[in-house]
Amino acid sequence: MDRMLYVSMSGAKEALLSQANNANNLANATTDGFKQDFNQFRAQHMDGPGWHTRSYSMDERPATDFSAGPIKVTGRALDVATKENGYMAILTPAGDEAYIRSASMQITADGQLVDVHGNPMLNAAGAPIVLPPVDHLEVGIDGTISVVPAGAPANEVVVLDQLRLVEPDHRQLEKGLDGFIRQVPGNAELGQADIRVINGALEGSNVNTVQALVTMIELTRKYEMQVKMMKTSKDHAGASDKILSIR
Amino acid sequence: MNRALYVAKTGLEAQQFRLAAISNNLANANTYGYKAGRAEFDDLLYQNVRMPGAQAGQDPANTLPSGLQLGVGVKAVGVQKIHTQGNLMITDNQLDLAIDGKGFFRVLDPEGNIMYTRDGSFQVNQNGDVVTSSGYLLEPNIQVPPNVTEIAIGRDGTVLAKEPGVAAPINLGQLEIAMFINPAGLESVGQNMYYETIASGAPVVNNPNNEDAGAVIQGALEASNVNTVEELIGMIEAQRTYEMNSKAVSAADGMMQYLNNNV
Repeated sequence: MDRMLYVSMSGAKEALLSQANNANNLANATTDGFKQDFNQFRAQHMDGPGWHTRSYSMDERPATDFSAGPIKVTGRALDVATKENGYMAILTPAGDEAYIRSASMQITADGQLVDVHGNPMLNAAGAPIVLPPVDHLEVGIDGTISVVPAGAPANEVVVLDQLRLVEPDHRQLEKGLDGFIRQVPGNAELGQADIRVINGALEGSNVNTVQALVTMIELTRKYEMQVKMMKTSKDHAGASDKILSIR
Repeated sequence: MNRALYVAKTGLEAQQFRLAAISNNLANANTYGYKAGRAEFDDLLYQNVRMPGAQAGQDPANTLPSGLQLGVGVKAVGVQKIHTQGNLMITDNQLDLAIDGKGFFRVLDPEGNIMYTRDGSFQVNQNGDVVTSSGYLLEPNIQVPPNVTEIAIGRDGTVLAKEPGVAAPINLGQLEIAMFINPAGLESVGQNMYYETIASGAPVVNNPNNEDAGAVIQGALEASNVNTVEELIGMIEAQRTYEMNSKAVSAADGMMQYLNNNV
């Protein structure tokens, strides 16, 4: 039996994996703040005795696309998004820092400022932000949180805190298995950066849907070609069986 | 079975959920005191198919630089209520009240639990009690005597009534307003009513127009804060994303079909 069957089988399997990655990008086409994942195939050469005739393909996620998504204006005071290459910091359930570009913030019953999943937003010192009872909250262009305390006249604005804003190198960012974006381990801690924050807006998903649909067609056809090769190897096996048949 | 099929399924479900939230907002575009809800999504976990740094061959120096992590789709986190102020609509009805600012009216449900609402279209029932349009009693109760000709409610919530032949107005009581630190955490139960939850925090009850409580405006109602243009754009987006994800389902299906027919 020719081993080409196994080569084309691996090609078909990797195309399926890549299709799953592409489907995940499409499924998150309207998830605010989602960053699409790149996907690529790499030739894995088989070393061994004899001729070098086997190269298996291998699917991998080399990186995540950290480019900005579209800004959606919502008008809600607690919706914030960052501009340029800036990120806001949140505290993950694992207890470390992760970075987001869009937060639909909420104030919890005990006065903590959290994102929509309940992860605390961090201030410039890297600590969770705790608010007194407020009448009105405004996030300034540099992440400054100013409030009108409960019961105070509307012109009595108190500057309370500042969001932790960082400007990481995109090549040093990675998306973890829990979906949070963090710095690659081994990098120095990022300092507070001068980043512009947009108030009353969220950043949409950066998935390029047109590209994802084209990729989907391409992967489907690639898969069909691999299956065709599997069928060819079946025909080959049938033909060699015929040579040895008595009649 | 094909992984892409299940991932695309989560995408379809998410858009369906979003459309349900949008159609609920559109259905309530003219509901007094209604607050729009926004569907929020979260990408699900990633699965490690190949660990970064795993051996790619016999040579120890040959390791995978990036590996393969596959996302397993999207899920709806929930519908977040957007508690922004709606427009005030002047009705000139004496018992139509709007809150200009923060806070909720308190009403009693049939079991005597306190519910919260911003829909101030009040009426008087057969006993003279002030009730909501669904018949729930206002808390604290305000009794209107039968022979009253005019009711005046101040910005601070004092309820005064005029009786024929009496020069001085009689005081019927005082409206109260409840504030929450996180109104988005309230549980909506329909009929424009909310219950307090752990997430919303405990209510702080105050007189209207006092400290951070909003003022009561008599003869006006707060319109729904649904932005219909935004909802329609969201609807287009949801529909198109749904179509794309259904294309991904067909593609996964086509791959399986091709395999079954050809091998």
